[in-house]
Amino acid sequence: MKLQHYLGGLEGLGPVSTETRVFVEPWETRIFGIHTAMMALSAQLPLPQTPSVFHTIWTWADLRKGAESLNPFDYFKYRYYEKWLGGISGYFIDQGYITEDELDALTEEYYADPRKPLPRAGDPAIDDRVTKYLVEGDSPARDVVATPEFSVGDVVTIANVPSVEHTRLPGFLRCKTGVIETVYPGAYTYLCDTGADGIGAAMAVYCVRFNPNDLWPGNAEPNFSLYADLYARYVSPADVSESIKAA
Amino acid sequence: MSERFKYREDREAHNAARVRALEALLIKKGIITDRTVDTVLEYFETKMGPFNGAKIVARAWVDPDFKRRLIEDTPKAIAELDLPDGMAGAEGEHMRAVANAPGIHNLIICTLCSCYPWPVLGLPPYWYKDPTFRSRAAREPRAVLAEFGLPISEEVEVKVWDSSAQIRWFVVPERPAGTESLSEMELEALVTPEAMMGVAVAKAA
Repeated sequence: MKLQHYLGGLEGLGPVSTETRVFVEPWETRIFGIHTAMMALSAQLPLPQTPSVFHTIWTWADLRKGAESLNPFDYFKYRYYEKWLGGISGYFIDQGYITEDELDALTEEYYADPRKPLPRAGDPAIDDRVTKYLVEGDSPARDVVATPEFSVGDVVTIANVPSVEHTRLPGFLRCKTGVIETVYPGAYTYLCDTGADGIGAAMAVYCVRFNPNDLWPGNAEPNFSLYADLYARYVSPADVSESIKAA
Repeated sequence: MSERFKYREDREAHNAARVRALEALLIKKGIITDRTVDTVLEYFETKMGPFNGAKIVARAWVDPDFKRRLIEDTPKAIAELDLPDGMAGAEGEHMRAVANAPGIHNLIICTLCSCYPWPVLGLPPYWYKDPTFRSRAAREPRAVLAEFGLPISEEVEVKVWDSSAQIRWFVVPERPAGTESLSEMELEALVTPEAMMGVAVAKAA
């Protein structure tokens, strides 16, 4: 199991950050912009071709896989956009767009002279596509018939699917019992096929309500409910023993 | 092992140089242009941001029928308003609003990452992305809200929404008392990103 999949409910972490800024260092804005451009130029999108040489797929799933593959100590150690910088640099190196040596060498140059200008180049069609992506988005809704197995009010148990590289199932919900709050209309894909984890193809999505005292018995605050949006793959008929408890 | 707990002393200078080197290489290799990053950042300054969410909430405060439609079908209600194109764009393709009410307080979290409704709220603040917040808010939301200076009594039901699939969530806070004479535009100024995520409430100025 990966700690990053099981963050919900961890104890002993100390006070939360109440920092309301989006970026705390100016450089963070640049890696955010690079990531968003990569999503917009990603090869699977039905957007106009551009002269960009970017020809591979980059989605949130790729960014998340990077964060989920980190050593858990590093996950807590590094600030949000530091993890992005590491993951995105690694992707460009792994995919052969750049080499680690040239990145290291140029880093030294900008370190020595932070005001050294960026190169001037590029076709505006690339930026037009980036804007088009921001305006149009990339809806995971698919026009296929989804026949939801469950209805509002049904008691369900969350599956314990194989733990693999990437998931959209919060770990603290595995094997727990909840109640269907919403059956979202239609069917939804995920950004990639998660393999044995089981999402990717269009399927129903539910919002499921959990009693926190079932999630963390005797150790959750009173008078609150936790709701999670879950792909149908993760939602199973209630275990009989569990459904008696939840009733 | 001790190395794992150390930061390099020039941490930020090194990060800044590395991201600049990366951007320079991507421009040089023809992946992005010299305007791409600024194009993205300008879009978030002018088109996608919490200024849109504030308009939506202020309208919900002055028009109860709009508020009802907003909760029932969030994207459809948002499309009624005169907002920039792209309100159903990136990270806003499927949004759902939940309303605070007497006895009900909503809090939006993302325990797996940092899902956030970009078109109406822009980019997530650091508190939302903090692993400590994401861990603790799932089990002890009142303790977390108290650290934000927002005490919520045990008589109030807390609803915590974990964004783990296609929906991007936001909260319609309650209209503060004593704002009856304010215009819709004046009301917009009372709506913060924190109130629209549930770690704050809207307050009269």
